[in-house]
Amino acid sequence: MSIASLQDRRVIVCCGSGGVGKTTISAGIALALANNGARVAVVTIDPARRLASALGLEALGDEPRQVDIGPTGTSGELWALQLDAKATFDRLVRRHAPSPEAAERILDNRIYAHLSGAVAGSQEYMAVERLNELTDDPRFEIIVLDTPPAQNALDFLDAPSRITHFIEGKSLRMLLSPGASDGHVGWKFLHAGSSTIFSILERVTGAQLLRDLSEFLGAFDGMYSGFSERAERVRALLHSPRAAFVVVSSADDEPVREAVMLVERLTEDRYPLGPAVMNRIRPRNEIEPAARGVLTEAYAAAGAIHPEDLVERTLAQLAEDDARARRDHDACSRLARLLGDRVPLQVPDFTDEPVEIAGLEHVADALAT
Amino acid sequence: MTSPALFDRRLIFVLGKGGVGKSVVSAALGTAWARAGQRVVIAEVANQHRLSDLFATRKVPRNTPTELATRLYGYSVDVDKATEEYLASHIRMRPLVDLLVRSRAFHNFAAAAPGLPELVTLGKVWELAVAIEDGRPVWDKVIVDCPATGHGIALLETAGNVSELAAQGPVRDQAHRIEEVVKHPGATGIAVVARPEELPVSEAIEAVATLREGGYPVAATIMNGMTPRRFWAEDASVLGRVESDDPAIEVAVRAALRADHHARIEHEHLRELTVGTYTSPIVVPDLGPIVIGQTELSILADALDGTARAAHPAVRP
Repeated sequence: MSIASLQDRRVIVCCGSGGVGKTTISAGIALALANNGARVAVVTIDPARRLASALGLEALGDEPRQVDIGPTGTSGELWALQLDAKATFDRLVRRHAPSPEAAERILDNRIYAHLSGAVAGSQEYMAVERLNELTDDPRFEIIVLDTPPAQNALDFLDAPSRITHFIEGKSLRMLLSPGASDGHVGWKFLHAGSSTIFSILERVTGAQLLRDLSEFLGAFDGMYSGFSERAERVRALLHSPRAAFVVVSSADDEPVREAVMLVERLTEDRYPLGPAVMNRIRPRNEIEPAARGVLTEAYAAAGAIHPEDLVERTLAQLAEDDARARRDHDACSRLARLLGDRVPLQVPDFTDEPVEIAGLEHVADALAT
Repeated sequence: MTSPALFDRRLIFVLGKGGVGKSVVSAALGTAWARAGQRVVIAEVANQHRLSDLFATRKVPRNTPTELATRLYGYSVDVDKATEEYLASHIRMRPLVDLLVRSRAFHNFAAAAPGLPELVTLGKVWELAVAIEDGRPVWDKVIVDCPATGHGIALLETAGNVSELAAQGPVRDQAHRIEEVVKHPGATGIAVVARPEELPVSEAIEAVATLREGGYPVAATIMNGMTPRRFWAEDASVLGRVESDDPAIEVAVRAALRADHHARIEHEHLRELTVGTYTSPIVVPDLGPIVIGQTELSILADALDGTARAAHPAVRP
């Protein structure tokens, strides 16, 4: 499976464990697709300064900005933005609130401030919501989504339902506003004594917290359907053949293990898989290095004081490089085998991270071949 | 030991970007302390299960300290179970607790309630740190292998946030007690881990600044995975002077120069971490493309102990 197979997709999601270079690969994929003529937006999450500058964006903002990728000879365009979870959440609230006053009530609520500012949960959810917004934007044919760092690389898939469940908070709303009912027997039974329960909870949480919570959930009244519709919409898109999940790994044990788990989970949940990418692969030397004697002579001629010593260290380095290259190669074959012989795309180890678009072109080229 | 600031504390949080080797560093710290005669527990949060791989033991069961090596235990925090315990201890009406715990709606709520899973996790860690038996602490060291930076900081901040949100009541009181321990510079130390690469270093620098600003005791920075230096400036100039059309010589010279270039970049990152955090990072060497097991952990423990120079003459921090 090649990068060209992604050309007709609407959404490409890059996932993998932390530190494997997901953001760079996301940008590389987006660039490769743009070079091929597509109008692409890449949503990055916390890109390195160098990558931001490689994308020509000193301060990568929440709004998509077009990246100058030089003449491609096609109609391709590359756009980039950085996810701002809080700003996205605020927009979502403003969009769905029944009135501007209701929106302000939520935005001012202390529980909301913690929920929207919390890294845990909110960032995952908002990555998905941002995806929703961008699929509505006619400027972009393909959206490449980098996924946020998480305890579990697929947390973000569960995030929308997790947060909507909380906001719906049926159980809690019932406790907090006796009289409402969702027909659940257990809760109905509880209702008779619900003021008692309220007071027990209040003893635990303190009146303030419960009051804020009650206000918060109350303020969201009438917005649940909008929220869950959007969560449902993106869920459907991500399960459709118009999406593709690209699992990114490096040759280290832990990322490979995580990549395999990801592929299993994605397959199990029927998400469409794209190619896997092995990043930072060191190629093996094709040329046999010179023998000790030859090298010693060359070093001596270049003025080495202890040529033998330098030769020893050079040979040690060559042996170590070779061991790493072999390990990387083995990891690629292992991943390929575990993925049912689907050969992962290999991106070589560029010692210097891409500083400008030319550097990113190397990544795009490696992906495209 | 290299960093008394870190080695004096009882509760150690190991924090850093995903992929920097927090679990390995946690395990190596644990190894260093356990062999020095201390009783150590390493707490894994959020279903990581890295410890059992590193120590080649069976999976660490949830919420039960499990022996990994002599005096060294692993502990895996199960948020669901801990939430149940937490409720049970506060709501002294068992039927209500049972009903809550059995209800799907409650689980949905608890999983997303801002701060609740973090507070419960931190509460478990705190219990380990303050546990006393026969008049002395059960654990000399409690090491927490934190989730990736953002989530890790959120974990530390959660007690403060909750105690502020709740304003009063038992939840607030407990959150406040936890916050006091987490921020106590005599009891707690945060070790911020990086790798010699751009992003992990800038994330570490930002994390240190954020933590200090919030009043959290940063006790050490750790640069994990520094390649032991093999070539020096004088070597590079010799290598640069080698004139040869022989590809077999070129390939060798190129490998040496590339390694030297790489080492310089790593050193630059070490300097950035030093300057950016006003700390002297503890340097932990890269052990090459091998699988980390107990032998390797003990080498890394040497590095953390400050005896690294004897074992790794090439490492000049």
